[in-house]
Amino acid sequence: MMPLWTKSGKRHAVTLLKVEDCHVLKYISKEELGGKKAKLLVGGKNVSPFYKSESNTKLFREAGVPYKQKVTTFDVTDDALLKPGTPLYAAHFRPGQYVDVTAKTIGKGFQGVMKRWGFKGQPASHGQTKTHRRPGAISTNKAAKVYRGKKMPGKMGNIYRTSLGLKVWRINTKHNIIYVNGCVPGHTNCLVKVRDSKLPTYKDCNKNPPFPTFFADGDEELPEDLYDEEVFQFTEPSVTY
Amino acid sequence: VNSDGKPTKFQPPPKPVIIDKRRPQEERRFLSPEFIPPRGRTNPLKYYMERKDMIQRRKVFNIPEFYVGSILAVTTADPYASDKVNRFVGICIQRGGKGLGATFVLRNVIEGQGVEICYEMYSPRIQAIEVLKLEKRLDDNLMYLRDALPEYSTFDVNMKPVSHLDHEEVPVNKLQVRMKPKPWSKRWERPQFNIKGIKFELPEEKMKAAQKWSKPWLEFDMMREYDTSKIEEKIWKEVSEALRK
Repeated sequence: MMPLWTKSGKRHAVTLLKVEDCHVLKYISKEELGGKKAKLLVGGKNVSPFYKSESNTKLFREAGVPYKQKVTTFDVTDDALLKPGTPLYAAHFRPGQYVDVTAKTIGKGFQGVMKRWGFKGQPASHGQTKTHRRPGAISTNKAAKVYRGKKMPGKMGNIYRTSLGLKVWRINTKHNIIYVNGCVPGHTNCLVKVRDSKLPTYKDCNKNPPFPTFFADGDEELPEDLYDEEVFQFTEPSVTY
Repeated sequence: VNSDGKPTKFQPPPKPVIIDKRRPQEERRFLSPEFIPPRGRTNPLKYYMERKDMIQRRKVFNIPEFYVGSILAVTTADPYASDKVNRFVGICIQRGGKGLGATFVLRNVIEGQGVEICYEMYSPRIQAIEVLKLEKRLDDNLMYLRDALPEYSTFDVNMKPVSHLDHEEVPVNKLQVRMKPKPWSKRWERPQFNIKGIKFELPEEKMKAAQKWSKPWLEFDMMREYDTSKIEEKIWKEVSEALRK
């Protein structure tokens, strides 16, 4: 995470996300799924195939792409389809756009009810016998049962969570880095899924997106760094009021 | 013959130290501490991107060399001030943070009230940083000035900059500061702080009792060793080349 200043002098915290060897693996049409939208399978970081299971080998061989650590699905409309094997870059996103970021949260292991659910526990003194971090009562008398989903101790973390509506401040096309506002679930260097925001307020925020995606061998020559209009670039002199 | 009555041991004469003043002496190197990345599992690419931004900022805006104990004057842009600029003079008591978020805390006593301001070195609101007096102190962290007598933290707001030649060594001020009566904000006599710049006027028993909390094994702990010499060399080369362009 890094600080980022706007032209008005306000400071924001920014997370850096690197797009590492992303390729489109497969196209699944909406007829096969029986739904409204088609799906594109996208693979992440390159890894050695010798340490992974062989179930996915056929998928990577057909796409003609090295073995990937993670395979995710994206819902796409029919006009945004891509051929399997196309590489995806950070320039697919533009500054000023809003994104949702999904990742597996940091695993905390088996945790008690106070850390996992934020229960208040019991006092430390004044006669409490061996009860300081316990849940207390778990149901009422009349119910005569414990409801499903009762908050109890258990494994905490290591589940997929999404941060919604994060603004993209800056894109580095040379190293494929996206600067995203705020914090993102997951530990440092974990794999993360970045998607255009589905929030209704940001439905039309992306004015001129590279559609269907940014092609590196195309005619468009992008500068090394793309900034949002409000971002203070370090080549400018200090901010004055 | 010695005052003890024993015969004096033969002391060989000291070897002469020859300083060749004809050639220019080796340039003093100073790499700002926020360039050195901390130990961790982060991708080095992140520190490389941060360093690029820091070098970019330093090309446009001059951040001078200073240490904890130097007296600085910082002018920032302030939308609520009448002149739109705010000038603060103070002694640097702490330098913290790594990368773009590096900070330094300046302390001064203004009209009897102690004031500490924490500035971010790479914030675009800072218009100028001047070093009024470049010097080092015996410690890296002068937070104990809060519990010292106020005369040690008062500096004239209109003081003139004291000149310092580029090639000379940075002077170390071996001042030992006198404290206000206890209680202090922290127990500065304890060995964990390792403070050399306080003239402790506490009784001997209190100083001995403080040594009870000493951890003599810490200096031999190999897991805590972080040798930054090679990293510093690489980063110094990178930064000095980029700034020279």
